[in-house]
Amino acid sequence: MIENMLSDLRLYLHLLRMQWRAQSQYKMNRAIDIGSYFAVTSLEFVGVLVYFGPFPSMLGWHVGEVAMLYGVMSIGFGFAELFGAGIDNFQDTIRLGEFDRVLLRPVSSFVQVAGSDFRLRRLGRISQGCITFVIALRLLPDLHWTLAKFIALLLGIASGSVLFLSVLLLGATLCFWTIETTELVNILSYGGRDMLSYPINIYNQAMQRFFLFVIPLAFGSYVPTCYVLGRPLPFGLPGEAVFASPLVALAFALSAGAIWQFGVRHYQSTGS
Amino acid sequence: MTMIRADGLGKTFRVARRRPGLLGGLRSIVDPEVRMVEAVHNLSLSVERGEMIGLVGPNGAGKSTTIKMLTGILVPTAGEMRVAGLNPVRQRRELAGRIGVVFGQRSQLWWDLPLIDSLLLLRHLYRVPETRFNTNLAQLCSMLALEEFIDTPVRQLSLGQRMRGDLAAALLHDPELLYLDEPTIGLDVVAKARIREFLLAINAERGVTVLLTTHDVDDVEMLCPRMLIIDHGRKLYDGSVADIRERFGGERTLMAVMDFAELAALPHDDEGHPILDDLPDGVRLLRAEEPRIWLNFSRDSIPAHELVAWLGARYKLHDVTFQEPEIEDVIRRIYEQGLLLKQLSGHLA
Repeated sequence: MIENMLSDLRLYLHLLRMQWRAQSQYKMNRAIDIGSYFAVTSLEFVGVLVYFGPFPSMLGWHVGEVAMLYGVMSIGFGFAELFGAGIDNFQDTIRLGEFDRVLLRPVSSFVQVAGSDFRLRRLGRISQGCITFVIALRLLPDLHWTLAKFIALLLGIASGSVLFLSVLLLGATLCFWTIETTELVNILSYGGRDMLSYPINIYNQAMQRFFLFVIPLAFGSYVPTCYVLGRPLPFGLPGEAVFASPLVALAFALSAGAIWQFGVRHYQSTGS
Repeated sequence: MTMIRADGLGKTFRVARRRPGLLGGLRSIVDPEVRMVEAVHNLSLSVERGEMIGLVGPNGAGKSTTIKMLTGILVPTAGEMRVAGLNPVRQRRELAGRIGVVFGQRSQLWWDLPLIDSLLLLRHLYRVPETRFNTNLAQLCSMLALEEFIDTPVRQLSLGQRMRGDLAAALLHDPELLYLDEPTIGLDVVAKARIREFLLAINAERGVTVLLTTHDVDDVEMLCPRMLIIDHGRKLYDGSVADIRERFGGERTLMAVMDFAELAALPHDDEGHPILDDLPDGVRLLRAEEPRIWLNFSRDSIPAHELVAWLGARYKLHDVTFQEPEIEDVIRRIYEQGLLLKQLSGHLA
C-alpha cells in the first residue's frame, strides 16, 4: 500500500519532469506565458479592489483583510491549477481518445492523467497570490501573529489546493459522460474561485452552507483567513474549525476519487 | 496454451442522438434519445500462444471494437473472454502489463521529446526492472535500427520511423501478446517491408503472439498463416489464407502463348477475338492479344492440367502460365456477394 503510493508518487514526478523538458523546448514562450498569466490574475485582483473606491469596507471587512483572503485563495488555487493541469485538460484527453492509452498501462489512471500536463504559467497566479498576501500584511500592520495562526494558514492553503484539485477532478469525471457540459464544472471551479475572492458572509445563508458543507472550498481560504484575522465564522463554527481543514479536504478528495473511479468504469462500458 | 479465448462476444453501443440548439442539448442530457448500434455480434475466437493472426474487414466492421474489448478498455455487452489467462474487464491493469498495443494512427510517444525520453518514461509506466529494460532496449534498437533517430524529437520523425519507435515502445516490457491496429497504414513499401520483417522476427524469436488488424491484405498474406474476416460485427471467415483462396478464389486464369499464324487463321468474332471451337464447359475466352490468349475457368469445371491438355491437343502451344486470384479480390467478392454470410445462415438453418 505505502510502497504503491511511493511508486505512484515517483511516477508522477517522472511525468512532471517530462512535461518540464517538453515545455523547455520553448523557453521564450514559457517566460511570456508566466508573465502574462501573472498580469491577468493581478487584473482580477484589481477588479476586487475597485469595490473599495466608493466603499470603505465590505460588510466589515477592510481592504487589507480582503487582500489577505484573496492572497490565500490565489495561492491555494494556483497550486491546484499547477498540479491539476492534466485534470483540468481532461476533456481534451477524452476527446482525442488518449484516455484509451491511459487504460492500457498497468499504473493508476489518476496518476497518469494528473501527470499528463503541468502548466508553469500557473506560477503566475501563485506569485500574484504571494504578492497580494504581502500587500495585505502591509495594510494590516496591527495584526498579531502566533504560531497557531501560522500553522492554520499553511494547513488552510494546503487544504485549499486539495479542495480545488478535487473540484477539478469532479469536473474531469463528468467528461466520462459528456464532454459538452464541461462549462457546468467551470461554474463550480472558476465560479467557486471567483466567489471565494470575497468574504462568504456577503452571500445568503444557503450559499454559505454550500461552500462550507457541500463543496467545502471555504475551508481552504475563508476559514483560515478568519482565524488569522480573529473573525467569527458563520453558523457558530468555532475558529478552531480551521484545524479540521485537512480532514475536510481529505474526505472531499476521497469522495471525488471514488466518483472518478466510478466514472472510469462507466467509460469502459460505453466505449470510444 | 490458449492466449485468447472469446465466446459469443458482443458489443452494443448506446448512441445518444443530440437534439439541436441549447435547450435541445440540455434536454438530451436529461432525456436522451438513444439508438442501439451493434458493433460486434456473437464473435468467438481462440488464439494459441505464438500464433500470428490477421483481422480483416472494411471500415466500421468492428475490428477496433474487438481489439478494445480484448484489451479490457471496453466492456463487452455479451459473451465471455480470457486473455493470457486473465479476465480483461476485471483484471485490466494486470493484463495491461502483459500486452503491448500499437495503434497505427495514434502514437503513444511524447510529441515534443526525443524518442529515447519516451522509451525511458515507459520503463516507469510499466515498472520494468532496469537491467531487463536495458537488455530489451538494446535489442529493439538494433532490430529496428533506432540509433539513427533515437535522439530526435518525435514530431520530426517520418511516419515509418515513428512507427518503429511505437513498436519499440510497445515491446519494452516483454509483452506476451501484441495487438496491432493498422500497423502499416500510410507507410511506403520499404517501411512496410521493414515492419513486417520485424514482426516476423519477434514472433519467431520471442514467441510473441500477434493479433493485427489491417486494410492491407499483403500484411496478412506475408505475416499471418491465419486470418479472420469480419464485417458488420460478424465473423465471416476464420481459417488459413491459402484455404480461403481455395474455397472462394472463384475463377482462375490461364494465359497461353499460341502460334501466331495458327491463331490468325481461326475465325474471329465481332470484337476481333479468335473463336476456339467447343471450349469445355465453364471455360471462356477472357481476352486475346495474339499470340496470347487468356482463358477464365472455374475450379469446379475442369482441372488446370486437363485444360492445358485440351488446348495442347488442338493447337500449337508455346507456353502457359496460371494467374491466381489476388486475395484482395477474393475478399472483395466475399463482401460484395455475401458469400460467407449465405453459407453461415445456411449453416444455421
